[in-house]
Amino acid sequence: MTMILRFLSRSVLVCTLLLFLHSTYCSANDNITYRLKWLRNVSVVGALYAEHNQLFSKAGLNVTVKPGGPERDAIRELELGRADFGVASADQVLRARAKGAPIVVIAQLFQINPLQWIYRPEKLQLGSLADLKEKVIGVTFGGNDESIMRTLLAEGNLDSSQVRLFSVRYDYTPFYRKRVQLWPVYRNAQGPIITAQLAQEGEKTAYFNPADFGVKFVANSVVTHVRTLKEKPELVQRFLGVLLSGWQQALDPENEKAVLSLLQHYEPNIPQTIQQEQLRITRTLIQPDPTVAIGRIDHAGWDQTQEIMVSQKLLPHTFALQEILKPQKSL
Amino acid sequence: MLLKRILQFFLLYALFIGCLLLLKYSLQLSDYVIPGPVGMLQTLTTKYRSYGLATLNTMSIAVIGQVVSVILAFTLGIIGRQSTWLGSFIKVAAYNIQAYPIVALAPILFILLGDGFLTRLLIAAMICYFPLLLSVLGIMSKPVTDIEHFYRATGRMRWQLEVKIRTFENLNQLTTVIAGSATLAMAGTIVGEFIAANAGIGYTIRIALYQSDLAKILIALFFIGITIAIYQAMLELLGIAIRRAWTGK
Repeated sequence: MTMILRFLSRSVLVCTLLLFLHSTYCSANDNITYRLKWLRNVSVVGALYAEHNQLFSKAGLNVTVKPGGPERDAIRELELGRADFGVASADQVLRARAKGAPIVVIAQLFQINPLQWIYRPEKLQLGSLADLKEKVIGVTFGGNDESIMRTLLAEGNLDSSQVRLFSVRYDYTPFYRKRVQLWPVYRNAQGPIITAQLAQEGEKTAYFNPADFGVKFVANSVVTHVRTLKEKPELVQRFLGVLLSGWQQALDPENEKAVLSLLQHYEPNIPQTIQQEQLRITRTLIQPDPTVAIGRIDHAGWDQTQEIMVSQKLLPHTFALQEILKPQKSL
Repeated sequence: MLLKRILQFFLLYALFIGCLLLLKYSLQLSDYVIPGPVGMLQTLTTKYRSYGLATLNTMSIAVIGQVVSVILAFTLGIIGRQSTWLGSFIKVAAYNIQAYPIVALAPILFILLGDGFLTRLLIAAMICYFPLLLSVLGIMSKPVTDIEHFYRATGRMRWQLEVKIRTFENLNQLTTVIAGSATLAMAGTIVGEFIAANAGIGYTIRIALYQSDLAKILIALFFIGITIAIYQAMLELLGIAIRRAWTGK
């Protein structure tokens, strides 16, 4: 009898220990770090909405959303094991893959690249790419806007000696002072702010969108480590499902009030009317076609992005994109 | 001296790269996170000319910036050595200017002076002058009582003589500080180029950062390091020559 009791008590102890270890393992698995590409603003509103409304925790995921910035590189963090998921632009992804970084794209956030050029339509008519001739155009040397602009110039049979490329930084003074005619901005984030500021001075603004001239350069996508996708496909599915649901809900006009209050929380200095405009534009960039699911990977866009980078010697050669682009079942 | 400095730099750089490669291979990181030796060598062979020229461009600004700083520091240090209202005012102004982060001042300079030579020069001088000023103030405010007493007692002391005595007595310290400030001048110029310029090695690093290309950054660091090592050694040699000329030792 004593032997049986001892055996039972030991069995219970072992089972309890196994259960504890299993639960610890599971919860450790569900601790996720998601590194954004930029600071907390309208461009990442889907993740902010999911975080703020505890969509992740309701799905049993303990997600820490970390803001990005110029010095943050989600791909490096994925490889170093400091993040599980992240946001990276297509050029970053392709450059990283060219150097052997084991990362894959599981969703594409922006269907239309928000990087566009603001200009004053009263001073400038841009009906064709040839109209760029002899203009002063702002570009971030080394940035993807330089690649896009050089492609546009090539498409318009213009070489860089026929325009003046102006090196831009975070300070918009050269554009305000009309030293530069076209200035690169994020259409949904900085665009409405600059438009409002110039409107106060009685000036009109318009946007030069490369996609209107046939140049598609993919912007932000959600990336993860190859190992994560291979070893934890269910976790990837769950995380992505919640994230995209966050985006869906954040862009739903019915939730606008809640979303605007969330944006006010992170950027209290931006007037709500401007944030409303930012949100409206973000909707058109994330889901331009309501029949296409949020997060869809635009293969043609990736093909063109790769071609642009190879032609500008930013990539040594082309890759089989199916190795990089791994759309999930829900998409 | 020159050869010693270059060898010391090569040793330091090799250690630094060695540590990075150790980390790369032990953690099995891709060339995107830490480039391999082949990638670094390729970058060196393709970029040595443009990066070398960019470093020389930066160096030329740094040298001018350092000269401006030395003149500024000596002028302010000599005026500020006195315990007068003006002396105290100069000290407060110098401390205040140094307290403002350069990244906050740079956009203002950029608006006022554009993104060319002057902005870089001013930022280099601003970063470089403060340690120089502190040393000059310290040296110039401290009387060399044994010698100065004689001139004061005989009524022959003038401010020029006071400065000469104090400089002569602290020549070792001054030349060391000036040689050391070369690094700060270079760092200041690079910061200026990084924030507000279209030329120089700092600007090149900024572009490499946009392209997430660590190999380019490591090569840029190599050029910066070797240039500073040579410049510093030359300043030290110049210091020795000046000391010899003044003291005969």
